[in-house]
Amino acid sequence: MTDRLPRSVIEPVNPKLNVSRNANLPHSPGIRVGDYIFLSGMGPVDPVTSGRNLGTIAEQIRQTLRNMAHMLESAGSGLDRIVKMTVVLADAADYDEMNRVWGEFFPTDPPARTTCALQLSNGNGVEIECIALAGQSPS
Amino acid sequence: MMLSRQVIEPNNPAFDQSQQFGLLLSPAVRGGDFVFLSGMAAIDPATGAPAHGTVAAETRQILTNIGELLEAAGSSLAKVVKVNVLIYSMLEYENMNSVFREFFPTDPPARTVCGVKLIGGHKVEIECIALA
Repeated sequence: MTDRLPRSVIEPVNPKLNVSRNANLPHSPGIRVGDYIFLSGMGPVDPVTSGRNLGTIAEQIRQTLRNMAHMLESAGSGLDRIVKMTVVLADAADYDEMNRVWGEFFPTDPPARTTCALQLSNGNGVEIECIALAGQSPS
Repeated sequence: MMLSRQVIEPNNPAFDQSQQFGLLLSPAVRGGDFVFLSGMAAIDPATGAPAHGTVAAETRQILTNIGELLEAAGSSLAKVVKVNVLIYSMLEYENMNSVFREFFPTDPPARTVCGVKLIGGHKVEIECIALA
């Protein structure tokens, strides 16, 4: 009853994807509290060079979601354990393209999601954050 | 004991944007003892069509719909812990607040509001996290 939830920092197995450490930013890639995982907003970082992977918006979204999968798997979770996502686009006109790419990653029982457009850093066309449950899907 | 993840089906299919517009998102997902709602825009509960109006009218419609959706998930507006409000212009901040007060007269949820570019010509979009 009075037990406090434990809090721990989540980091990607691949250090090239540890943006906050590589760019010396004052945030963690993710935090686990109890059985919930909260990830920072992620962009299209190249997992080989740690540089920005700025291709078409579809490629940027795919790369960001692959990186998110890696981050969650590094913590023993996965894309199918996401409950809520927030997608920020630099250009609202990319909304339809984003929805097309979504089908490649979340074909069934997709997470809850909110999308809006605002100004992003580093020339990114997209930034995505999520809340996920710890552990792997029972199936 | 791993937390279970469950997609919530709204009682009113008009609130299911994935059905209405072919979007790959769930209106709400329950994870453990929390319910996570997708950002909701003003939707006519009778037809599922966008209900464009003033900021006050859209806010009222959204919060009414959110209340129904939460009840379908065994929750309610009184159990909301955190709200994010996206609004097309911060000049309309007070118009949103005046309606918000009607729905949350006491002990209102934590809330963040920001002015952003919204999709689909809506003036307001609201998401929330609630206790199941």
